[in-house]
Amino acid sequence: MSAKSSGGGVSRPGFRTLTASLLLAAALWALQALDSQIQVFSFGESGPDARSFPRGVLWLLVAVVALRLVLSLRREDAALRAGPLLRVLAVVAVCILALWSMPTVGFLAGAAGAGVIVSLVLGERKPLMLGLPLLVSAVVAYGGQHGLNIPLP
Amino acid sequence: MLVDAFFELLNLWVLVAALAGIASGIIIGAIPGLGPTMAIALLIPVTFSMEPIPAIILLLGVYQGAIFGGSISAVLLNVPGTPSSAATAIDGFAMARRGEGGRALRIALYASVAGNIFSCLVLMALAQPLARFALDFGPAEMAMLMLFALLVIVLFGGGSKLDALLMVLVGACAGIVGLDPISGTPRFTFGSFAFDNGFQLIPVLIGLFAMSEVLLQAFDRADEVSDAEMPPLKRSVVSLVELWRMRVTLLLSSVIGTFVGILPGIGSTVPAFMSYNLARARSSEAGQFGQGAPEGVAAPEAANNAVTGGALVPTLALGIPGDAVTAVILGAFMLHGLAPGPFLFRDHGLEVYAIFEALLLSSIPTVILGLLFFRVAIHVTRVQPRHLLPAITILAIFGAFSVNNSLFDVWVMLGAGVLGFLFRSSGFPLPPLLIGLILGAPFEQSLRQALLTSGGGFDIFVGSPITIGLVALIAVSLALSLVLGLRKART
Repeated sequence: MSAKSSGGGVSRPGFRTLTASLLLAAALWALQALDSQIQVFSFGESGPDARSFPRGVLWLLVAVVALRLVLSLRREDAALRAGPLLRVLAVVAVCILALWSMPTVGFLAGAAGAGVIVSLVLGERKPLMLGLPLLVSAVVAYGGQHGLNIPLP
Repeated sequence: MLVDAFFELLNLWVLVAALAGIASGIIIGAIPGLGPTMAIALLIPVTFSMEPIPAIILLLGVYQGAIFGGSISAVLLNVPGTPSSAATAIDGFAMARRGEGGRALRIALYASVAGNIFSCLVLMALAQPLARFALDFGPAEMAMLMLFALLVIVLFGGGSKLDALLMVLVGACAGIVGLDPISGTPRFTFGSFAFDNGFQLIPVLIGLFAMSEVLLQAFDRADEVSDAEMPPLKRSVVSLVELWRMRVTLLLSSVIGTFVGILPGIGSTVPAFMSYNLARARSSEAGQFGQGAPEGVAAPEAANNAVTGGALVPTLALGIPGDAVTAVILGAFMLHGLAPGPFLFRDHGLEVYAIFEALLLSSIPTVILGLLFFRVAIHVTRVQPRHLLPAITILAIFGAFSVNNSLFDVWVMLGAGVLGFLFRSSGFPLPPLLIGLILGAPFEQSLRQALLTSGGGFDIFVGSPITIGLVALIAVSLALSLVLGLRKART
């Protein structure tokens, strides 16, 4: 899962670069949105307000992530491979679909559907074994509703 | 108090909870990739309808069982079920290859129990005095204590200090979301009431440790688990005389595990390797280490189990988790109304001592179940990830929902899972993030309360003997880290 840096040049961007870049973008956006997302009502007290700590932590995060990115340029980075990434995206997509449809179709159908797709993504092809997530969902749904009194969707 | 606490344990449900927790812990721990952190996070919802004492005993039983369970796959397959079992695998697998797998597992089990008993006694001796001492802490003292804890995680948690700092900051940023702890104004809630309480700990934990594992396995699609390379397991016994010969190794390893475990963020892998190296250095047969030395199994197992009690000392007495597992346990305590921190012993002393005694007494069922279950657990190590991970996905959705009966928490869990996948794939450590998330908000609260008290003056942080002591500890930690870093760079 790794791609070695070539010679003395810059290494090929991978997971670390992607994650650090996303973090940097998120931190910079949060700093930009800070004033609109945090209302401050001053009653004349001295000391830090509701924005002080978030501002300090976010600036520190920006500095640390930027440093990480610079230091990562010449470091080995885990490669972003298209095929495996598609499998991950498939699992995330099916979970999103299951959660989105759960208020309508219920926990049992939503969770079982997600479980079956995850099973397929992980390489399960035996029809009998694809029934395993259905069984687990049924046990969890029954146990949750009747044993733990949890009002599942 | 101790006698009253013992009477609290004379309850059938307590026994059932302890047995169920240890048995499931051994089985879950034996499965490579499923550690105690994930197991406890997924089992927390099961305890919702239980009384606090059996609920916590069940989860601590899982913790104890899973750490021993991790050694089963380490010894028999050379695949550590938990990272801390990696040191056990060195000599354990070598023993297994010459047909002594059963003996290695028995040694691992007895050493685990020895480490657990020692650390429980230290926990019982230290936690209440520490909590009583912390009752004198004001906001400035609490702020400096939390700063010290966060610093220790960054400086001594192992791996890159920059990555650990980055993760602590990400955790602290996540802790900002919700209502401001002083003025109550919303922060990054996007006008939604669902965000007002911030990110709930349990859905975040389930996402970071369980859902991210599913995504990682989908990315790597692990190879089929095969039993072709598993060495045969012959009948074996470990005599008391043999254990007596290891007494100094067991004691030293337990001391290392317990006291390193007390330091926040270090976890059980570091003490396991420290104990292994110490046992090898002390041994007259150092050459046997790596070739299947029984003490090479006993030392790391005693140490990584001793971390259990050690890590619970700051968790329960100060509300500062020692590692990722105790962070999950801290979440479980909070869910059951037993908020860890200086007031825990004052307000819930009976429950806490009952839990301590149960932790100590659970050594007996751990030995019995360990001996009974390790042959069963061998079969569990052969479970294919594609059969297991769909069930984990379903349990993760259920677990996140059941915290507040809210689908919002399930979305949070999924988001944390995606982030956890990205962080783990990038090599960023998760425990500092978790501890940053837990300590970020109380650190800000204490810091601001202290500054409001002092009218904005920073002299309050050196205004009492306790804060001066903590500042000195911070300075010493920084200097020590610098010296160790320079020495490492030179060698």
